[in-house]
Amino acid sequence: MRKKKKLQHEVEVPITPMLDMAFQLLTFFILTYHPAPSEGQFIMNLLPAQPATNLDAKAESESTQNSDLPASVRTMPTLLYASAGGKLGRIVLSNQEQPDLAAFEKQLAQDLQNPDLAFDQALIKFDPDLKYSELIQVVNIFSKLKLTKISFSEMSPEEMSAP
Amino acid sequence: MSASMSSEVKAEPNLTPLLDVVFQLITFFMLVINFSQDNFDQSVRLPVAGTARPAEEGEKANEDHLVLNVDRDGKLLFNGVAQPLHTAIETIKRESQLVKLNLKAAGLKPDANGGLPTMVILRADKDASCSSVYSLITACQSNGFFKFAMKAMNGQ
Repeated sequence: MRKKKKLQHEVEVPITPMLDMAFQLLTFFILTYHPAPSEGQFIMNLLPAQPATNLDAKAESESTQNSDLPASVRTMPTLLYASAGGKLGRIVLSNQEQPDLAAFEKQLAQDLQNPDLAFDQALIKFDPDLKYSELIQVVNIFSKLKLTKISFSEMSPEEMSAP
Repeated sequence: MSASMSSEVKAEPNLTPLLDVVFQLITFFMLVINFSQDNFDQSVRLPVAGTARPAEEGEKANEDHLVLNVDRDGKLLFNGVAQPLHTAIETIKRESQLVKLNLKAAGLKPDANGGLPTMVILRADKDASCSSVYSLITACQSNGFFKFAMKAMNGQ
């Protein structure tokens, strides 16, 4: 008799409407969820182009950016020529032709370790027809070798026709 | 007697564990969903670079940024519309003016070089020509944007 009385006082909260709501919310989130691919970035401070298109120019022009740089610091020039289809054709690093990206990386690493060559920044001059992905490959190599002070410039028609 | 028998047969599944699981799933999706990446046009196929470092959460939250999506033809994708270079330059100029107005309203000034604090997030398609991307970079520079983040996919 006592047991029966207890059962009568039991409160049952209906969970079904709450579950319906929860499923609706879940459906919304599943439909609006687009997993973003993992993107990386190269952060650069690119000041306006200066009349330093002459590759032999020393880096004094950068003194406005960093007055602590010694006068011996020079810019490492890299020329990127495009082949057919915008692929990377020729690579010229400090007037030395590099057969491919692997050789370029090796030579760059050697130059950066050479105490006689106090490079700490690079100027990348590229063929206008070069594809962006090819440029990023070169930037990637500079970044891998911890040379992050990079500036860009487009090749002039004279430079492109130079041997 | 027959009424009591029917109440014994009645099946009432316990929905509480199911509700618990559903709430956990909702919590998961609420935490991982990111509406702020709406500016990132997914049609742009980024180049792949192994050393591109992921943006830190602090950088994302604190810095004002301008996202430039560039399609494979070198056109700027702004609000889903492909803009040729001359229109893109106008757009960048307009954005620069907006940033300057915001700075003025906040009582701030551009830096000594006239540089704005806004970071330009450059998301260019891997097949875009360097020339078109460089044109946009120079347009940004001439309008006071000097900070750039060139986006690439992580990987080898």
